[in-house]
Amino acid sequence: MKERNKPILEVKGLKTLFTTKRGVSKAVDGIDFTLHKGETLGIVGESGCGKSMTSLSILRLIPSPPGKIAGGSVYFKGKDLVTMSEDEMRKIRGNEISMIFQEPMTSLNPVIPVGEQIAEALRLHQKMGKKAAWDKSVEMLKLVGIPSPEKRAKQEPFQLSGGMRQRVMIAMALACTPEILIADEPTTALDVTIQAQILELIKDLQTKIGMGVIMITHDLGVVAETCDKVAVMYAGNIVEHASTEQIFADPKHPYTQGLLNSLPKIHEDQDELITIDGSVPSPYNMPAGCRFASRCPYAEDICATHQPDLISHSEDVKVRCWKYTDKWTGKRDKEGVV
Amino acid sequence: MDTTAEKNIILQVDRLKQYFPVKKDSIFKPKAYVKAVDDISFELFEGETLSIVGESGCGKSTTGRAILRLDEPTDGKVLYMGKDILTLNKKDMRKLRGDLQVIFQDPFASLNPRQTVKQILNEAMAIQNVVEKSKRKERMLELLGYVGLPPEALERYPHEFSGGQRQRIGIARALAVNPKLIICDEAVSALDVSIQAQILNLLKKLQKQFKLTFLFISHDLSVVRHISDRVMVMYLGKVVEIAEKKEMFDSPLHPYTKALLSSIPVPDPTLKRDRVILKGDVPSPIDPPGGCRFHTRCPFAAEKCKQEEPPLRELVNNHFVSCHLAETLPV
Amino acid sequence: MLMFILRRILQTIPVIIGVTFVVFFIMQLVPGDPAVLLAGEGASKETIEAIREQLGLNQPLYIQYFEYLTNVFKGDLGVSLKNSQPVLNEILVRLPITIELAFFSIIITIVLGMAAGIISAVKPYSLTDVSVMLVALLGISLPSFWFGLMLMYFFSVKLQILPVAGWDSLLHVILPAITLGAGGAAIVARMTRSSMLEVIRQDYIRTARAKGLRERIIIYKHALRNALIPVITVVGLQFGALLGGTVLVESIFAINGLGRMIVDAIRMRDLPMVQGGVLFASLIFVVVNLFVDVFYRFFNKRIELN
Repeated sequence: MKERNKPILEVKGLKTLFTTKRGVSKAVDGIDFTLHKGETLGIVGESGCGKSMTSLSILRLIPSPPGKIAGGSVYFKGKDLVTMSEDEMRKIRGNEISMIFQEPMTSLNPVIPVGEQIAEALRLHQKMGKKAAWDKSVEMLKLVGIPSPEKRAKQEPFQLSGGMRQRVMIAMALACTPEILIADEPTTALDVTIQAQILELIKDLQTKIGMGVIMITHDLGVVAETCDKVAVMYAGNIVEHASTEQIFADPKHPYTQGLLNSLPKIHEDQDELITIDGSVPSPYNMPAGCRFASRCPYAEDICATHQPDLISHSEDVKVRCWKYTDKWTGKRDKEGVV
Repeated sequence: MDTTAEKNIILQVDRLKQYFPVKKDSIFKPKAYVKAVDDISFELFEGETLSIVGESGCGKSTTGRAILRLDEPTDGKVLYMGKDILTLNKKDMRKLRGDLQVIFQDPFASLNPRQTVKQILNEAMAIQNVVEKSKRKERMLELLGYVGLPPEALERYPHEFSGGQRQRIGIARALAVNPKLIICDEAVSALDVSIQAQILNLLKKLQKQFKLTFLFISHDLSVVRHISDRVMVMYLGKVVEIAEKKEMFDSPLHPYTKALLSSIPVPDPTLKRDRVILKGDVPSPIDPPGGCRFHTRCPFAAEKCKQEEPPLRELVNNHFVSCHLAETLPV
Repeated sequence: MLMFILRRILQTIPVIIGVTFVVFFIMQLVPGDPAVLLAGEGASKETIEAIREQLGLNQPLYIQYFEYLTNVFKGDLGVSLKNSQPVLNEILVRLPITIELAFFSIIITIVLGMAAGIISAVKPYSLTDVSVMLVALLGISLPSFWFGLMLMYFFSVKLQILPVAGWDSLLHVILPAITLGAGGAAIVARMTRSSMLEVIRQDYIRTARAKGLRERIIIYKHALRNALIPVITVVGLQFGALLGGTVLVESIFAINGLGRMIVDAIRMRDLPMVQGGVLFASLIFVVVNLFVDVFYRFFNKRIELN
């Protein structure tokens, strides 16, 4: 069903660079994905892989300088966000594409009542009057499950718990009924019982509003429970892209496999966890070949010298790995190294 | 796992209380306390890993700090090999710190940035005077070997290492003094999963090699499941349940434990679970609810739960729970 | 909030008593016996003794202090040794002048300082920023007696658009107020800039951008209120420095304010006058601090919780 409609968001070859004293870092290095109405895409990866920078780049919120979108396009309803004027872009932020962040403790303005923080977006985008915007923000607080919303709306963030602040963030993001919600690690700073509440809430509101969700997370559990499809990022690239069922049942990229293996399992006992040796290459000094080659148990000569493309492996699976091309010799497999 | 009866108790915590005074906002109000740890007792057997789990503010880290006397506890006893740690004077306590070591969450904050790894390890050994000066270099290289760092690491500074490597340095420092018990306070929480797996494997290997006892404090239940022999669940300064790991994860008795376990997102999209989602937030530890502290969020709470505090009792063999209704709840 | 203001006012009482204590005992340390001074050269021992008796100077120190304290609370600050007028009367004539000067100076400090700070912070490291901060550095470095004289030379002597000295019209206020407020403005400008730059990096500013707000609203509504919290404290401290500065500025511009009065009294060894002047200067400082605290509290309600 997803393939039949046109996507509401189409990211093509997006590139974001950071220029610092240490050199140029390719935080996001040419990534592609699409998002459809009502769909949830997970972007997963470890710290520094570029997942948060991807989400900030979509809304052009990367701190600049030192960051800069260096190439590619982000088509939202046919228009390219990358080349749009700042005025047009502002009409999209918080209105048609909204974002919530990891730290509910610091993401709300500490000296402005939370109701006002929600209402100002409504006055701006929906041209509502003062009273109407306030009433709507109280209604939003009620919608996200905050008890006695009239009273809470007048309070400042420090009077609210972490879970409640994240609810306020969600209320703020959804006030203008956006078509896309970007959730950047929305539950990472929260306790597990509160995380369950917030994920449930996002899912619930998604079905109500019918928006597309981009879920940025490092937690594969969160991906499994909330996403329809997943993009796995490593060192600024997408290395694998597939449906959630597919990626957990049959991960193709050696990095995805390693990531899943290194998780401690909640329902079974293991003596030893399978780990990925080594560490991520420096963003200032990326290898010429595949960025995972130095850690990869299958790496061959070509992996060290040539970077593979993100190729379609099967209908639903894209993978960036020489192993799935005809360039692959399978030498190490045959020799029994792996 | 052996039955606990045959095992030696290395550490016994008896009715430990840790109250922190709260700044008053009026001279007319009575003095208020955060009851971070409120009358808890448990024991730790030699060579095992006991994990303390719970959400922020449950008192798990405070318990670890109180045992090490990083904060002086308000009341209670902490018996290490039969001796009450809390009554020791400064000198004896310092001697004992060789036996009790700690690894913190943020290895960067707990390593002096101006010291090389060599100086860090040397200092640890010098304080406890465990190794002769002439043999220290040899011992340092040995320690680096144990934690999987190259010999060149000795001359480098903490900022030159990645998060996982820094945690290895922290572990090497703890090992330097031949400890018997190591308290790991969220030791792997700040690490990415692939690095976390490396550190967990390392901890397990070292435990076997040196017959270490771990008190493992964590909020991450999958990690706890992997590393523990026994698990203790805390809520608002109280112990709600203690059991052997398998028992705890397969048949939890306390409604809070059940909710906690069902809240963890599982990396398996084919698994559809009946989830218990708790309502509301954890109440303030300054003025915790009377009776059972969980009754305000418990889906099963009865009248008795509001009135009477449930004692921690052994319901099944070695499985302790503090819930009035534990026998009658649906499994 | 009301509770806080009340408690804060109660707290000033011991501070004020402490001030009287310090003022009283420092005067005791000043060499010279007031009775001898008052009796004049060559007075007989009996006369001195009589004066001492009359002024209560033969009483033990703590009784003298106690009497002084009760007199202060009754509004009796003694009489000037110079002209035998009550000290309080003289102070009440001089005080409004100094308050007026201080008021205009602090306005210059706040308005000029914050405006410069914000202009700098909006485009950091730009040409505007660098020039504004250079001027601010000059403002901090220039001594006020020199700066005041330069202003006087340029605007009054050369251009002849402002009066040289005295205190008659609003025009007379301009130069002394600029002289007195400039140093503070420079400090406030630097503080505002660094505070703004700090705040602009915060997560909630990113949230405001993600909401689609205009940069102007982000700066003035979301950033400034938070950035001002540390600036308020600096302004409060500047006010103390400003009071000290009145002594100099009033002398340069020949203004008959409290500062100049204290200087004159010191020169004349008019102890009750010095005592009274210093006491009032301290009182102003205590009251201003009270306002700063209440203001700070209003802007930063979070500290109520901690």
